[in-house]
Amino acid sequence: MNFRRFTALLASVVAIVLVVIVVFLAAYAWPAVRLNGFHFLIDNSWNLGRQYGTPITVHGQEILPGAHYGILFLIAGTLLSTAIALAIAVPVGVGAALFLAEGVPPIMRSWLSFFVELLAAIPSVVFGLWGYVVVIPFLGHHLFPFMIKWLGFIPFFGGTPGSGYGLLTSGLVLTLMIVPLITATLRDALVSQPASLREAAVALGASRFETMWTVLMPAVRRVLIGSSILATGRALGETMAVLMVSGNALNILPNNIYQPISTMASFIVSQLDSAMQDPTGMAVRSLAEVALVLCLISIMVNGLARVLLYYEGRQAARIA
Amino acid sequence: MKMRIRGTIAALAVAVALMGLLTACSQQQSGPSESQAVSLNETGSSLLYPLFNLWVPVYTQANPGVKITTQSTGSGTGISQSIEGIVQIGASDAYISDAQMKQHPEMLNIPLAISMQMVNYNLPGLNGQHLKLSGPVLAGIYEGKIRTWDDAAIRKLNPGVHLPHHAIVPVHRSDGSGDTFIFTQYLAFSTPAWAKSLNYGTTVSWPAVPGGLGAVGNPGMITAAKDNPYSIAYIGSSYQDAIQKAGLGIAMIENHDGNFVLPEASTAGAAAAVMVPKTPKDQRISLIFAPGHDSYPIINYEYALVSSKQPSADMAAALRKFFTWAISQDGGNAPHFMEAVHFVPLPDAVAKLSADQISEIQ
Repeated sequence: MNFRRFTALLASVVAIVLVVIVVFLAAYAWPAVRLNGFHFLIDNSWNLGRQYGTPITVHGQEILPGAHYGILFLIAGTLLSTAIALAIAVPVGVGAALFLAEGVPPIMRSWLSFFVELLAAIPSVVFGLWGYVVVIPFLGHHLFPFMIKWLGFIPFFGGTPGSGYGLLTSGLVLTLMIVPLITATLRDALVSQPASLREAAVALGASRFETMWTVLMPAVRRVLIGSSILATGRALGETMAVLMVSGNALNILPNNIYQPISTMASFIVSQLDSAMQDPTGMAVRSLAEVALVLCLISIMVNGLARVLLYYEGRQAARIA
Repeated sequence: MKMRIRGTIAALAVAVALMGLLTACSQQQSGPSESQAVSLNETGSSLLYPLFNLWVPVYTQANPGVKITTQSTGSGTGISQSIEGIVQIGASDAYISDAQMKQHPEMLNIPLAISMQMVNYNLPGLNGQHLKLSGPVLAGIYEGKIRTWDDAAIRKLNPGVHLPHHAIVPVHRSDGSGDTFIFTQYLAFSTPAWAKSLNYGTTVSWPAVPGGLGAVGNPGMITAAKDNPYSIAYIGSSYQDAIQKAGLGIAMIENHDGNFVLPEASTAGAAAAVMVPKTPKDQRISLIFAPGHDSYPIINYEYALVSSKQPSADMAAALRKFFTWAISQDGGNAPHFMEAVHFVPLPDAVAKLSADQISEIQ
């Protein structure tokens, strides 16, 4: 077997595994998909039913009496926490990358970059534990009441501060996890831009800031989009850190940014044991349906990235 | 070329090291059966965990042939992992449901002790007092119908107590939990509306109460209650010392006869005395909301969930010996163990039923 065939085989294994996982998930979740229908996505009611009751038959499926599965609160929690994380992480990540690439002396640059990469290497459960022990008491007792006092007039910023567990806390912990991803990728791209770009801008009389903002940033826009999408994927699927700081809300939509939430990934972990006690098995199948929806959302986000990059590429080509 | 050779040598070295590690592991696995040491794994109830923690060092010191590992993972995990055969002993405050017993008839539900559950609150300035709470009031709080501490329903039970006008933070278990099972059973047995809507289970679909919190394990419940003033939580009696250290209040709960009682050995014993004669042979029975003037309403059997069909005779013998010790008055049910976790020892009649079930482990 020559090298090319060998690598082709390896590459196809990856693709096959992906397809097999999705197909398995869909097949396993299928009874739940049929039972739950479209309401699965728009109802706020995850109810395993009466665990100690006698199973009943609905639409030919055996389920526990009172069982009903609707995950709108999970979809909302997942998308909102990711959106908050991105809204903070992109500006911070861009700023940090510009600073590391352009603003620091070369000796310090390698050290600071090293720390950013280290931050990216920290396992998420460590972030979760740190959030649980350090961040939550601080946010719940100091920062959130302070924010409500001074920013309460902004919609969703007012109300009751809650306990520190919740949407904003999850968003902040996710932010810390994805900033290094964006920063590290973007810094590398900035550093590798040809010196001639900078020289040309400076020759035209551009200030340092103008050089960065009008010449360098447009040159790395594709990288920024790409790394942001990767970061989004990580935030959407993050499990342990969110589980530890989200407050694990059930069947409720947050009415301000301080309220407890749940995300799809963390919910699957927290509910699996309870679901396994459902003798009809429908609870576990419904959790598989949650996983399927999460998979589809991630695929859609990646698809969106492709489309964005495609148009971005065409635009860049047109300018060139 | 030199690089490649060096790489090959490195790869070989790693492979050899891995092989060594693997053989070491497999030797360790085959080791115990040769030296007659049996390893028992326990997981589940965080309410039973403190007791297992006291038991295991004492028992394994007297019986060096047995190794017992314990984990506090919640009764839901105890039930599912013992049924799947991942662990030998599933610890649970809840017995296995009828539907699941039908699927797994080999499972035994063996009571090891009787525990109780406290309802605790964090009310600044009032934690030293025992507030009176009833099933319908607790159901109202967890349903979100009673939203503030000075609600008329709570005031009515506590005349003369200056209750704050502050939103209640109800804390519930977010993991599959036997504490949730016994707490919701109390709500279901005392409040018909709750029985109709949510009923009981190791997980129920908690109504959405703004500000309400989910916590994992009894220790998580204590942390959540301590960190959140104006919260209320349900916590197993084996954490009573931790509750007192955290400075949380302990409620007097309304029993079947309409009296408000504190979780104490005497009130739990009174409830047990009523329920013990009703215990069936398979011992799957709720002790919640027992009649009687002094009966504490939230007590339960702490179960070991074990398969009656063990893979080896050694394993079965080790389990039988451990459980026989655990339920004996001179062994695991001795007063110093029970008092440390605020449990009630098994009454003789129940211990006899447990012994019958233990002998079925083969």
